[in-house]
Amino acid sequence: MASVIEMKGNQQELFKHEIETTDMALFVRTSDEAMLGWDRQRIVDALMRETYVDFDTAKEVAREVEDLIATSKIKMITSPLIRELVDTKLVERGLEQARKMHTRLGMPLYDVDQLILHPNKENANVPHGPEATNLTLAERIKKEYALLTVFSQEIADAHMRGDIHLHDLGFIDRPYCSGQSLEYIKRFGLSLPNSIAMAKPAKHPEVLLAHMVKFAAALQSHFAGAIGWDSINLFFAPYLVGMSDQEMEQLAQMMIFEFSQQAVARGGQAIFTDLNLYWEIPKHFENVPAIGPGGEFTGKTYSDYLEESQRFAKALFDVYQEGDGSGRPFFFPKPLVHITEKFFQTPGHTDFLYHICDVASEKGNTYFVFDRGETAKISECCRLSFKLDQTDLEDAKHPWKMRYCALQNVTLNLPRIAYLAKGDDAKLFSKTAEFIEMAVKAHLEKKLFIEKLLSLGEKGPLALLAMERDGSPYLRMGRASFLVGMVGLNELVQIHTGQEMHQSKQAFKFGLKVIAHMKLLVDRFSQRYGMRFVLEQTPAESTAYRFAKLDLKFHSPKSGHIVKGDISKGEVYYTNSTYLNNSAVLNPIERVRQEGLFHPLIEAGALTHIWLGEARPSKSSLANFVVKTFQLTQNDQIAFSPEFTACNRCHRTSRGLRSSCAYCGAEDVEGITRITGYFTKLSSWNKGKLGELRDRYRNQAFFAQKNEGMAVEAG
Amino acid sequence: MIEIKGFLETSFSDWRGKICSVLFLPRCNFRCPYCHNHSLVFHPEQYATFSLEDILARLRSLRDWIDGVCLTGGEPTLHADLPLLVRKIKRHGFSVKLDTNGSNPAMLEELIEGGETDFISMDVKAPLEPFRYSRSTGLPVNLKPILDSIEILKKGKVEYEFRMTVVPGLHGEEDIRTLGGRLRVGQRFILQNFNPENPLDPSLRNIFPYDPKALKKIEKEVQEMM
Amino acid sequence: MGFIKIFTKAKCPKCPAAKEIGKELKKEGVSVLNYDLDTIDGLAEASFYSIRSTPSIVIEDEEEREVISWRGIVPTLQEVKQHLFPLTSSLSPSPGRGEG
Ligand code: SF4
Ligand SMILES: [Zn+2]
Repeated sequence: MASVIEMKGNQQELFKHEIETTDMALFVRTSDEAMLGWDRQRIVDALMRETYVDFDTAKEVAREVEDLIATSKIKMITSPLIRELVDTKLVERGLEQARKMHTRLGMPLYDVDQLILHPNKENANVPHGPEATNLTLAERIKKEYALLTVFSQEIADAHMRGDIHLHDLGFIDRPYCSGQSLEYIKRFGLSLPNSIAMAKPAKHPEVLLAHMVKFAAALQSHFAGAIGWDSINLFFAPYLVGMSDQEMEQLAQMMIFEFSQQAVARGGQAIFTDLNLYWEIPKHFENVPAIGPGGEFTGKTYSDYLEESQRFAKALFDVYQEGDGSGRPFFFPKPLVHITEKFFQTPGHTDFLYHICDVASEKGNTYFVFDRGETAKISECCRLSFKLDQTDLEDAKHPWKMRYCALQNVTLNLPRIAYLAKGDDAKLFSKTAEFIEMAVKAHLEKKLFIEKLLSLGEKGPLALLAMERDGSPYLRMGRASFLVGMVGLNELVQIHTGQEMHQSKQAFKFGLKVIAHMKLLVDRFSQRYGMRFVLEQTPAESTAYRFAKLDLKFHSPKSGHIVKGDISKGEVYYTNSTYLNNSAVLNPIERVRQEGLFHPLIEAGALTHIWLGEARPSKSSLANFVVKTFQLTQNDQIAFSPEFTACNRCHRTSRGLRSSCAYCGAEDVEGITRITGYFTKLSSWNKGKLGELRDRYRNQAFFAQKNEGMAVEAG
Repeated sequence: MIEIKGFLETSFSDWRGKICSVLFLPRCNFRCPYCHNHSLVFHPEQYATFSLEDILARLRSLRDWIDGVCLTGGEPTLHADLPLLVRKIKRHGFSVKLDTNGSNPAMLEELIEGGETDFISMDVKAPLEPFRYSRSTGLPVNLKPILDSIEILKKGKVEYEFRMTVVPGLHGEEDIRTLGGRLRVGQRFILQNFNPENPLDPSLRNIFPYDPKALKKIEKEVQEMM
Repeated sequence: MGFIKIFTKAKCPKCPAAKEIGKELKKEGVSVLNYDLDTIDGLAEASFYSIRSTPSIVIEDEEEREVISWRGIVPTLQEVKQHLFPLTSSLSPSPGRGEG
């Protein structure tokens, strides 16, 4: 494909489109006599089209470049080289901005070679393969594009320096993550813009599931991150009336199987799916007319479908309990069970709680989401749950309207702030404000860009999000959230006060102060711009690693004492978001209690992990712990994370991380545990994560030493 | 006073339905080849001792969460002042669970009569024959006290369970059935899988445990042989 | 005797009443700490005590352990005093949580 193309005269007209879009057409072969296919005018055209330089300057530059090539002994000139030569001439003239506009995006041959041959470790969710490398290549170019044009120089630099991290730059032309309502597909069927087939509202549950899967795949290609589904067991319920247990189980199996398949979509990436489940009928749906087969209202309300809804939830967990063919846990979709006041008033909740705790103990899948108080709350998407205000409650009467999204995720490098503040409180707080302001600016810039894409409507690149089936665009920009995440609060406190957060009450309180400061700031910006900025606990898989690496570079030697992990192995990281040191000897009670104190300030993605390691707790003890967490803390969400070893020889799965199979002794094994928010195989972890894994404290008994973890008594 | 050699603040697996703390007490009169606490049990001098005061202070700060304390070992009933320890813990408002190998029925009787333990979990090591029991415990064992302990628990004056650690090579499926059939305590008979991580007898390290699913199935069958 | 922490917000109808109690107690020599939830220190301190509504009042012992709290409600001055001076005003039995 990259062969030499010679073009002259009319041909050029013919291929005009390609010339404009790809540089491939500019290959030029030089021979002793002449430069075949050379046309100086093309340099002039490009400069005029792409930059602001005037005609005379363009002509001059073109001539100079031509001379340079003619006098050199180069045998073959590729268009990247011509561009570079033109760029040097622009730089010589001090035309910095023009050079930037004239930049060519791309990758060195070496990098592409590496990429095609070696797995991508930045995101553990991406398998390695041709489709995946396509994805990475595209991401690399879009990332450069984003940094050059979507964001201002100031923001792009801040990202490159590692003051802040702009997530998913390779997906710059999509919003971040989203929350869906199944009601939309139930009511409108599957009629996506630009797609040939159109499906009427489903009549049967299997068909509804098929629609859901298709729609999820379509959404996945329009969002960078997770796709969450609200009250999924309830919204399926009207389709499940009269179903036998066996049929129910089959449907549950199909659902989990479909969403757990790696190969479904985007570069072989699993659809990062959250299923929100309720044992009760959520208050705000009690009197809402139910939509059933064929998209028709059934004449009943959702309260009438409690039984089906509960049976389906149970069936889903039966499937989770079994795990996949070799007993490994399903990595996706993630089941999020909402524990509310009403949960405890709904008959059968004890058995259900035991059931989901059994799965938590056995496989680790269950996420327990705590919605306290009488205020209704829904999970907007993976990262965000929020209280329903009056407009939302109005929307809840027409649940298909309940579509939400977070437009972007920007994370602050908190330890960096502390290095810069050099122990000065006032400076620390003003620097924090500066960093937040940068994040806000980044959000404004991305919003502008997405709005531009959306304004092209159903003919534009984001047609799916612009479609108006119910009178308003699918993506409701007015309802969007803008996430401001953080990494390394623990290290910020450590640098600034000399103690890590678990080491003293003062240190812990200082951490709270920083987050309180951030919370007040984002609230103020929300008011100023009429946008919803919210703090989030970043799923900092690669960010914690990136920040730590950059700080080792820019803030050495101080940073050498601060970053966690093993510097000699390059396995470094900062502690995630507001978490306490991973290796701190803190029992689960303290972890849940202390980390939970941050949760009311952090609206998005707040979660406490309890590492179980090898232990296989009793389901009723876990249930006991879940209930107490609900009653005694402000913690928003917990998950129990066991560790497994899967054998590649006998295909059995044993508990704990081992170097050989517990059943057959084979050493060809793979460790499985939860990385930030989801399960994955260890072989795909980046170095920072491996460092963290070694440091995890797994609630094992300790003998020789006395407990040094300081208890911060709260309330 | 008993030296406490290990303290696990929170356990979800040592007392069903409860969140408990676990205290590890040293020494044992058995030598089970599969014992995986052995360095703590037989070389307690290598470990620092926890002060009961510190432990109780910790427990107090966790009192809304911790339902009870599990005493395990080693063999706790080897310590003559065990009842005293139990009483102290009880006085602080925590329930107490005791793990035992059943070799000291007299003390069990005393604890039960005193009404101070809330749950007793007794390890049964093998079918109740001298030869089999000796093989599983690593030394000659007099079965009489074991049988007495079983009878004491079965009177039901206190909540109890019997636990059997199943080790391939030492126990076959038939043995589980034999023992379960002999005890006839339904749900109170619990199987535990062998953990090859760090057994007292290093040769056991190469033994692979039973498939947990298969074990669960047998457990269920045996529990139903009422 | 410990001290008392009062959590308020600028725009909250019941807060003045809570502040009033603080003032009274201060006159009597009690150490009173006021926290405004719209400030950094106030919000941080409130988070530490899981205070979700204003006004709230927390009484602590010398070691900064909570003795009792009123959340989202305003007790009478009398009630607060009962818990501040459990020995001197033991007319009615104190329901305060002691250490046992
Ligand atoms: S009874 Fe056996 S397993 Fe238990 S502590 Fe003693 S030697 Fe170890
Ligand atoms: Zn194997």
